[in-house]
Amino acid sequence: MRTTGGQLVMLIAINVLLLAIGAAISGGSFLSLFNLQSMASQLPEIGLLAIGVMLAMCAGNGGIDLSGIALANLSGVLSAVLVGMFLSSADQEAAFSLAFIAVAVLVGAVGGTLNGLLIARMNITPILCTLGTQMAFTGIAVVASNGRAVTVGSPEPLSSIGNATFLQVPIGFLVFMAAAGLIAALLKFTPYGLWLMLMGTNPRAATYAGFPKARVLVATYAMSGTLSGLAGVIIAARNVNVKWDYGTSYLLIAILIAVMAGVRPEGGYGRVICVVMAAIALQLLSSMLNFGGLSNFVRDFAWGALLLTFLAVGRYDLVGFLTPGTRKKPV
Amino acid sequence: MKKHSKTLLGASLVAAALAISGGALVAQEKPVIATVVKISGIPWFDRMNTGVKAFQAANPDVVATQYGPATADAAQQLQIVQDLVAKGVNALAVVPMDPQVLEGTLKRAMDRGIVVVTHEADNQKNTNADVEAFDNADYGKALNQRLAECMGKKGKWTTFVGSLGSRTHMQWVGAGEANAKQYPDMQLVDPNNESFDDANGTYEKAKEILRKHPDIKGFQTSAGNDVLGVGRAIDEAGLSGKVCLVGTGLPNPSADLLESGAITAIGFWDPKNAGMAMNSIAKTLLAKKPLTNGMDLGVPGYEKVKVTKGAGEGVLIIGNGMVLADKKNYKEYLF
Repeated sequence: MRTTGGQLVMLIAINVLLLAIGAAISGGSFLSLFNLQSMASQLPEIGLLAIGVMLAMCAGNGGIDLSGIALANLSGVLSAVLVGMFLSSADQEAAFSLAFIAVAVLVGAVGGTLNGLLIARMNITPILCTLGTQMAFTGIAVVASNGRAVTVGSPEPLSSIGNATFLQVPIGFLVFMAAAGLIAALLKFTPYGLWLMLMGTNPRAATYAGFPKARVLVATYAMSGTLSGLAGVIIAARNVNVKWDYGTSYLLIAILIAVMAGVRPEGGYGRVICVVMAAIALQLLSSMLNFGGLSNFVRDFAWGALLLTFLAVGRYDLVGFLTPGTRKKPV
Repeated sequence: MKKHSKTLLGASLVAAALAISGGALVAQEKPVIATVVKISGIPWFDRMNTGVKAFQAANPDVVATQYGPATADAAQQLQIVQDLVAKGVNALAVVPMDPQVLEGTLKRAMDRGIVVVTHEADNQKNTNADVEAFDNADYGKALNQRLAECMGKKGKWTTFVGSLGSRTHMQWVGAGEANAKQYPDMQLVDPNNESFDDANGTYEKAKEILRKHPDIKGFQTSAGNDVLGVGRAIDEAGLSGKVCLVGTGLPNPSADLLESGAITAIGFWDPKNAGMAMNSIAKTLLAKKPLTNGMDLGVPGYEKVKVTKGAGEGVLIIGNGMVLADKKNYKEYLF
């Protein structure tokens, strides 16, 4: 079994370091309650998508989910259009909110299941399959909205998910942590989690061992899709409007987070806590550079440098190198 | 490893504590105006940055800086705006990538007492003031007047729009047609050709028109690349200086064709002045001074602005910031 504490320690150290640098360049206001809340409320969209990518990667056999943000947008747009036909977000606030959330998450789950079925039953390579569904989802969202932004409005309790706090913690962030906790528990304590990781490690052995491969794959992509649907809800709650081309840059950032978190691109290993930490690190970094008034191109550079650092850490066991006592044997 | 990681954590925490105590001394008193553009690193918004810097130089009592995402994605712009709100800027001057996506965040900013000024977003609801460079009808009329003068107020002429669904383009050519009515000798032929802002497609279409109407004297175009396509067609037909072409375009790409005489004049608004105007409005609002009809923003082209009710609670401010540049003066606006 791989020792994996190193990655987590590195991530935590980087987060603390980023907080310190941020505080230094902003004169302390980086650590103000309001900014911490602001960053925490920005995090869930991308964090949920990154967990989806992680799940797909863990499944192995080149698993990846490129359709995440497209599906999140489709969930928001389709749900806003469908629910908007029957309910008014201004008059029937609670009913609209609940229906909107339910439909969005459902659309996400259906989209994800479609990915899973295509990959598991028709044996399409995940990268090609999800690239195709990404375009299809975007296309449907454009048609459903005529290419325009669809207004969701700010009905309660939907608007609270994007704007309100509970015990000073943004509710969107709590939703994100709850989803992350649930997935982590699922991976750790259920047979599904074990199957997923073992299947990712060695698909052939999984076949011979009689794992329900197809069902595990479908469940994995369905979960990834559901997380996208949830991301769509949070986007709608924060932005009042939903649009098909929102967050096109998220696609690569989600993959970046997953790789930074030490998820093995070949499959078989990934920890939710590391993904959460990596997402926080990217958020801190980008907010910090905005606080410092640095160009956003510097941010891209810093993200790239951070990613390469993490790849090096994973490859050469730098943490072990610094603490010789625990150094693992070179493979 | 456990022990080591604890030391690492401890050291980082101490560093954080030191940083906070040290950094708190560098508090800023001056009001901060943050300009957020659609995307940074492109000529248009680099030019706007020149304006923000010029404003900063002229107004040392405020801090004016420009921010912008590295990719053209509304979500990235949204993050920057949100971080700036958290940072506690006093005013935001935003050129929204997508006005509707920003509504929620701008509302939160205004709820926190931040002054919000927008540009190129006359449908933005959550803003204190939206500033537009010019009135679309005036712009179309000015383009046409320049064309009419070049044509000697007679002869056949035609118009190009980006697409028939483009609201501003139709307003421009509509105002142009209305202006041309005062000159009975000007004859509009095959109007409203769609260019889809594609220089090559426009070039082909302009060649067709030149074949169909060998005696055509003028073109009025709308989308940014139209002058390049039509200009190339005129140039290749050896008609430079004989056929007039006036339309929206940018100085740098149009330079060669302006020099050769294929393009008579280009119209645009200067993002430098728009950036300065946004900051000037933000400063006025920060000083709690009212925005009045006919006021002077102290920026060229915005000396006597028209103030009307906007899409939301805020006001819509329209300047007279159009620029018509020809061979003689385009070098003043190289961007």
